Amino acid sequence: MIYLDYSATTPVNKEVLDTFNKVSLDFVGNPNSLHKLGVESKNLIDKSIEQIKQILNVPNHEVIFTSGSSEANNLAIKGICEKYQNRGKHIITTELEHSSIYGPLNYLSELGFEVDFVKLDEFGMVDLESLKSLIRDDTILVSITAVNSEIGIKQPINEIAEILNQYPKCYFHVDATQAVGKVKVDLTNIDLVSFSAHKFFGLKGIGCLLKKNNIVINPQINGGKSTSNYRSGTPTVALDASLAKALRLVYQDIGVAYKHVEELNSYLKEKIKDYDNVYINSNEYSIPHILNLSVVGIKPETMLHALEEHDIYISTQSACATGASSKAVMALTKSIDRANSSIRISLSKLTTKEEIDKFVDAFDKCIKKLLLK
Amino acid sequence: MKVLRFSAIWCSACLVMKKIFKHVENMHPELEFINYDYDTDEELVEKYNIGTTIPVLIFLDENENEITRIVGEKSYDEIEEIIASISKEG
Repeated sequence: MIYLDYSATTPVNKEVLDTFNKVSLDFVGNPNSLHKLGVESKNLIDKSIEQIKQILNVPNHEVIFTSGSSEANNLAIKGICEKYQNRGKHIITTELEHSSIYGPLNYLSELGFEVDFVKLDEFGMVDLESLKSLIRDDTILVSITAVNSEIGIKQPINEIAEILNQYPKCYFHVDATQAVGKVKVDLTNIDLVSFSAHKFFGLKGIGCLLKKNNIVINPQINGGKSTSNYRSGTPTVALDASLAKALRLVYQDIGVAYKHVEELNSYLKEKIKDYDNVYINSNEYSIPHILNLSVVGIKPETMLHALEEHDIYISTQSACATGASSKAVMALTKSIDRANSSIRISLSKLTTKEEIDKFVDAFDKCIKKLLLK
Repeated sequence: MKVLRFSAIWCSACLVMKKIFKHVENMHPELEFINYDYDTDEELVEKYNIGTTIPVLIFLDENENEITRIVGEKSYDEIEEIIASISKEG
C-alpha cells in the first residue's frame, strides 16, 4: 500500500497509542472529582496542557480540548460572534477555508451576520490591502486558514495579525489544522487557533482550540465548567495526554521532516513535469506536504480509483466537501478544466522515495490507460 | 412564482451568494423563495436532479413545472437578467 493522503489523516504513532492505552488504564478518575484519583487525572491534564503551551510557545493562551478541528472552528467562530454581536455582525474570511469554517459562517449569516470574502492575489495569498479595506467598525471576526487543505497555500498569518492588532474589537481566528505538526508557525499573536491531533500522527477524536486568556467566548456545549469554562463534558484524560504526546513527538524532528518532504515534493514534481495535460496547482507559497495537480481530461474520481487499483491512495478535494469542481483551484487558476480535474497528493515524513517512484509509474500507466478510453 | 433554492451549510459558494440572493428577494416580493438543504432534502435533490454544483435556484410556473434554473455563483445582474427574461416570456 502506498498512502499519499496524509493531509486527510495520518496513521497513529504507536507511542501515541501506547500513551492513550496506558493513561486509559492507569488514570480511572474523573478529573472533575475531588478525590485522589480525580486529582491525579486533573494533574495529568494540566501537565498535558503545559506541554502543549510550551511546544507551541503560547504561554498566554488557554488550551480548550475539543473533539477535533471542526468543533474547535465552530467554537471559535460561533463563540466569538455570539459573545460580541452587540459590537457588530460583520465577519471576514477567504475562499480557501475548510467546510467547517463555512458551516458556522452560513449558520451565522442566517442569524443576521454579514460575511465578506477577502481578495486573493494570483498566488492565492490574502491581499492585505483588500483585507484592510474590508474591515469596518462592526467587524468582530476575521477567520483565515494558516494552510489551505487543498492546495497547501500558507498564508501570512502574522502579517495579518499585525494589521488586526490595530482593531481591538476585531478578533483573529486561524484554522491551523494543516499547519500544526507540519510547519513551524508563530501563534503567539493569534487570538484563536484550531488544530487536530490526527493530522500529525495523533488519534482521531481530539483537537484543540487555543484562545488568548483575555478573550471570553460563548461555549457551544452548555453543561457547566469542566477543565475549561468553554467546553463542558467529562474531560478525556487519555486523549488529551495522547495529543500532547503526538505534538511532542512531531516537533522533535519537525525541521528534518520538513526537509525530507520538501525533497520528495521536488522529486515528484520533476518526474511529472513533462505531461502535456498535467498542471501543478500548488505553487511556491504551498507547503511541500501538499501537491495539488490537475490531470486535464480525466475526472478526479476516475484517477483516484485508477490509482487505487495500484494500491495507491490519494484524494480529490478536501475530504469534507463535495461538488463537481474545486473552488480553490478555480479561484487560483481561473481554469474550469483544471478545477474539474484536480487531485491532491499529500506527503509526510513517512513517505519514501521508493513510494514516489511507484506512484509515478502507476500515474503514468493510469494516464495512458484513461486517455485511451 | 415559486423559486426553489438548494444550498448546503458547508458550501462556500452558497455563502458567497447569500447576500445576492437576499438582495434579489428584497427586490422581488412577487417571488416565493423556498429553501431546501442539499444534504437532508435528498428526495427533492434527486427529483430536481440537482447534481454536484450548488447553490441552485429553480423557477417554477403555476403548474410547478420548471421554467429555468440558475446553477452556482452568479452576479446580481445575471440573476436579474434571467428573472426579466422569464417575466417577459410569462
